[in-house]
Amino acid sequence: MPANRFNAFTAYGVGIGLRIPHYDHILGKKPAVDWFEIISENYMVDGGRPLAVLDQILEQYRVVQHGVSMYFGNAARPNREHLKKLKALTKRTQTPWLSDHLCWGSVDGRFTHDLLPMPYTWEAVEWTARNIREVQDFTGIPVAVENVSSYVEFHASEMTEWEFLNEVVERADCGILLDVNNIYVSSKNHTFDPYVYLDAVPAHRVAQIHIAGHTKFKKYLLDTHDHPVLDPVWKMYAHAIARTGRTATLLEWDDHIPSFGEVHAEALKANNFLPHAKALAA
Amino acid sequence: MQKLSRRKSSSRSGAASGLAELQRAITGALMKPLTADEEIQPSNAAVAERFIKPNDRLTALERLQIYSQQYWWRLLGAFGEDFSGLRAVLGEKKFDRLATAYLEEHGSVSWTLRNLGSQLTAFLEKNPKLTEPSTALALDVARVEWARVLAFDEPARKVVAPEKFARTPADRLRLGLQPYIVLLELSHPVDELMRRLKHTEFSAVSNAVAASENHKRARVTVRRSRQPVFLAVHRLENSVYFKRHDREAHTLLLALRDGATLGAACETAFADTTEAPEQCATKIREWFSRWAEFGWFCEPARR
Ligand SMILES: [Fe+2]
Repeated sequence: MPANRFNAFTAYGVGIGLRIPHYDHILGKKPAVDWFEIISENYMVDGGRPLAVLDQILEQYRVVQHGVSMYFGNAARPNREHLKKLKALTKRTQTPWLSDHLCWGSVDGRFTHDLLPMPYTWEAVEWTARNIREVQDFTGIPVAVENVSSYVEFHASEMTEWEFLNEVVERADCGILLDVNNIYVSSKNHTFDPYVYLDAVPAHRVAQIHIAGHTKFKKYLLDTHDHPVLDPVWKMYAHAIARTGRTATLLEWDDHIPSFGEVHAEALKANNFLPHAKALAA
Repeated sequence: MQKLSRRKSSSRSGAASGLAELQRAITGALMKPLTADEEIQPSNAAVAERFIKPNDRLTALERLQIYSQQYWWRLLGAFGEDFSGLRAVLGEKKFDRLATAYLEEHGSVSWTLRNLGSQLTAFLEKNPKLTEPSTALALDVARVEWARVLAFDEPARKVVAPEKFARTPADRLRLGLQPYIVLLELSHPVDELMRRLKHTEFSAVSNAVAASENHKRARVTVRRSRQPVFLAVHRLENSVYFKRHDREAHTLLLALRDGATLGAACETAFADTTEAPEQCATKIREWFSRWAEFGWFCEPARR
C-alpha cells in the first residue's frame, strides 16, 4: 500500500539491494536511487568496513533493513542477542520498517542459513505470530513478513500458504513484504494459481514488494536472484500493484551481480506499472 | 477472505511440539553430508516421506534434496572463501574432504556465516590425518585466515593519545591492544604464501582463457622457516594487513594485552637479550611510534 502504518507512513518508490560489488560505484558516483535495502545481518558486526560503508551510505540515502535469519517460524523464541544487535542497527539506520521471512531456519542453535517453508498448521500460526509480535515489541518498529519460495509441502499442513499468511499477519498485526517472484516460483513447484494467492493477500497490510529473477530447472523452479525479472512475474507485479496501489518496490539481485547501472535499470522498469496503479487507486 | 475455522489447538505454552519435531527431523536430514555425486543420502528417505509430500515430478526425498544441496553448497562456499589459502595448500580434493568433515562436526551456530571457521584450528589439531603431510603448514594457514576474519570486523576501541602514554611513567602505564589485532607465532612464512596466492589468482583472472580452471587448481606451498615467524594480523583504514615483528616486539605486545605495565612488558620482552640497554630503548621507541601511528593502543580491558 502507499503510506500505511506497516511502512511507518512513508511513500518510498523503487529501490535496490545494497551489494558489495556496487560499493565503489555508489560511494564514488553517488547515483540517484530512491532507497536501498540492506541485509541486516551483514551490518550486525562490531566494526570495520561494513559499518564504515554503511555510515557513508546513510549520509546520502534512505535505507530499509531486511533480515534473513530471525526465523519467525522457528519452534523457539527469538534469540535475545540477535534482537539486541538488530535493534542497535535500527538506531543507526533509522529504518522506517523491518522485514524478515515467514519461515524457519535454525534448530537448537544450529543454523541452516536457508529460508525453510512452514508447515501450514494452527500450531505454527500461533507460534509464528507470537515471535513476530515479540520482535515488533522489542524493536519498536513495524515488522513486515515476507512470503518465501518453497520446494517442499508438508503432510502436516492444515491450510494453504495464503491462508496461513493471512492468519499469521492478523494475529501478529504486522505488515507483509509481498514477494511476487516467490509466489510465482512456489505456484509452479506446487501447482497452484498464483493469482488466487495474490487476490487473497490483505492489500492494506502490504508494506513493501519484492521482485526478482529465478531459474527454471527441469522439474522445479529455483529462486536464484541471478537474472532479470521474468515476464510472468512482471505481469503478477502489475496485478499486485493494481490491488495495493503505489507501494515501495525493491529488486533483489544477489548472484552473478551485473553493473550497478544494469541492476538499477531493471528495477526502474517497475515504474512502468506504478502510474497505472496510481490511477486505479485514485 | 473468509476466516478459517480453527480445528484444534495443538500449541502449548512451552515449546511448539509438532512444529519442533518436524524442524528437528528435517534439519537432521538435510545437514547430513551429500554423497560423492552430491546427492542427498538415501538413508534420509524415511524422514522425507514422513513429513514431505511428493508431487507429480519429484519424490519426497528429491524435494528434500533441493534444501540439502543448498545447505551444503552455501556452507562449503562460504568456508572456501574464508579459507582460500588452505584450499591452495591442500588442493581441491583434500580441502573438500576436510571442509565436509569439519562442517559436519561444527555447523554454523550463529546468524552469520562469518563465524563458520571459529573452531577450525582446534579441529585440525585434533584431526591431523585430514591434512597430512602438510599438517603444520595447514595449521599455520588456518590460523592466519581465521585471524583475517577477526581483523576485518572486530570492534575498534577509542585510541589512547600518544601524549597520554608519554606522560605516564612506564611502571604505571597499562595499555590495551585493539581487539582487531591478532598476534601469531608461526612456523611458516604464511604472509609470503598469501601474497603469492594473491598474485597467482590475479594472473589466472587476467589470463582470460580457462581462467577459472587455472584459478581452481592454483596450488601454493612454502617451506618451514628456520626461525619462528611473528605476525600481527590487523586492520588499517578498513583493510586487513600482515605485519611481521621481532620476537621481542611480539612478546612485548602479548604482555601488554595480558595486562602488564609497559615497564614490566619491556622487561619480559628483553629478558634474554644480549643487546645494550640503549639499543633496546631505541627499538622500543621506534616500535611505539609506528604502533601509535596505526592506532593500536586503546584503554586496557577492565579486569
Ligand atoms: Fe524476497
